[in-house]
Amino acid sequence: MVLSFFRGGDSGLDHVVTRSVAMVTDARHSFDLACTALMSGADPRLIADDVRETDLRINANEQQLRGELAVHISVHGPNDIGEVIGLILLLKKIERVGDHAKNILDLAESGVSFVNEPDIDGLLEERRIVSGFFTEASEILAEHDGIPQSFRERVDSMTSQIQSRIDGYMTSEQPGHQVVPRAVYHRYLKRIVANLNSAVFAATEPVRVAGNSD
Amino acid sequence: MPTGARAALVVALIYLFLVGVSSLETGIKIMGADTQERLFSAVSNPIAGLCVGILGTVLVQSSSASTSVIVGLVASGALGVDQAVPMIMGANIGTTVTNTLVSLGHVRQSAEFRRAFAAATVHDFFNILAVAVLLPVELIFRPISGIAKWMSELLVGSGGTEWKSPVKKWVKGPVEWLKDLWDQLGASGNVKGALMVATGLVIVLIALAFVTKNMKALVAARIERSLNAILGKAGGLVALAVGMVVTIAVQSSSITTSILIPLSAAGVLTLRNAYPVTLGANIGTTVTALLAALAASSADSLTVALTHTTFNIAGILLLYVLPFAREIPVSAATLMADLAVRRRVLAVCYVVVLFIVAPLLGVAILR
Repeated sequence: MVLSFFRGGDSGLDHVVTRSVAMVTDARHSFDLACTALMSGADPRLIADDVRETDLRINANEQQLRGELAVHISVHGPNDIGEVIGLILLLKKIERVGDHAKNILDLAESGVSFVNEPDIDGLLEERRIVSGFFTEASEILAEHDGIPQSFRERVDSMTSQIQSRIDGYMTSEQPGHQVVPRAVYHRYLKRIVANLNSAVFAATEPVRVAGNSD
Repeated sequence: MPTGARAALVVALIYLFLVGVSSLETGIKIMGADTQERLFSAVSNPIAGLCVGILGTVLVQSSSASTSVIVGLVASGALGVDQAVPMIMGANIGTTVTNTLVSLGHVRQSAEFRRAFAAATVHDFFNILAVAVLLPVELIFRPISGIAKWMSELLVGSGGTEWKSPVKKWVKGPVEWLKDLWDQLGASGNVKGALMVATGLVIVLIALAFVTKNMKALVAARIERSLNAILGKAGGLVALAVGMVVTIAVQSSSITTSILIPLSAAGVLTLRNAYPVTLGANIGTTVTALLAALAASSADSLTVALTHTTFNIAGILLLYVLPFAREIPVSAATLMADLAVRRRVLAVCYVVVLFIVAPLLGVAILR
């Protein structure tokens, strides 16, 4: 540990960004596993430990990296305050994504399954797109080169699509045991997309996102 | 500024610092035996010397600067080793004022203030306790200065009080140039000596301030990595080593200990994490006086610089390595922080009394 003084390596903020990209990868892993339980018929009990351990790892990383950001400000002063605010928000957003992945697992553990349902193809396609957002978010964070317009447009489009599904479930005349789990799942999905979007915004435009309630 | 240029600037500033120490020594020598005798008698009482050490360090907010000046005074013959040792111990107490003042910045948030004030005062209590235990022992048996003298003789030999330091030769030119400058401006005798002392003091303080500033900029990322490495860990020797290495790098224990305060206030570092870092800073800060001793011509100045190191190591062996003793400063700091949170004015009184009123009274009564 003392040798860390003499060794080279990422500067403080670069290190936090690198670790936050790993956190996004962890969050994607949890999301994919939880959705597998919900949509592919996998036994939720078999993947629960993995999802929960990953969530704990995300939470621990968030806490540790927040500490490292405090160290950065203590050592360097307030010059990087904008970036630090952005990274604190980013970490919080990723941590929330992990929580929502765990919520999806909870849904599967409570007996919900979309396997063999008539709308499974649409649900799988939504999951594929959202899972892709995780990868894109990781790349955007790692490259630190602004948010591509196409990403913003696809995120907005997916958010609208999910919201219209939720609206549809709210006014649906189908039985509750069919509509409620879908409404709840889509609610989580919407939060995941919103938090991923906010995460990349927080890293690139921290002050503007500071008032965002997502 | 490019890293290479900044590193070169630091080397130049260290050279300037050594010129300052040598100028101080030369100035006192020019002022003659009478002045030396007056200075000598002013701190002949060890408690008065301790108080002068506290006050001097509080004034310049740097034990590196005050101990370097003490080394310069010893080199000039104005102070003996016996008079300098309590002053060095006082410098150790005085240096803790900076992080205690930093902790007062958190006074409006109770929880933050409690953590910050405890992290700051644990350093105070450790240093006060170390002085309370080791100063009487030193005055009676001289074990600390004895060890330092033995090491000093080992390093420069026991051939006499004059030590042919190679660094002394390197800084001789600029010091002679300063002497000539004051000569040409018409100064002579005590006036010239006083001007040399004043110039030396200004050079030492400015050079050290800029060395610290530039070294901090040079090694900030490394400091950050080192502190990250001890986050959430339970302190111990690693944290102590980190404190020492960081302090040697920035040549200022105040920088190291002050960085810890906002981290402790935020709850990122616990009191037990921060405590050993401050002890490492105690050892690290002694390197500046050792550096100053390189520019001095007397073996006694090296003995005094080594006394500072030996005293701090002895304090840690006595009060940190022994588990029951380790808890005393922590408990005292926690108690003090609880009191300060309940009565904020106590925190201000604590700083004023410990660092200003008590040492002033000590000097006034005992000198």
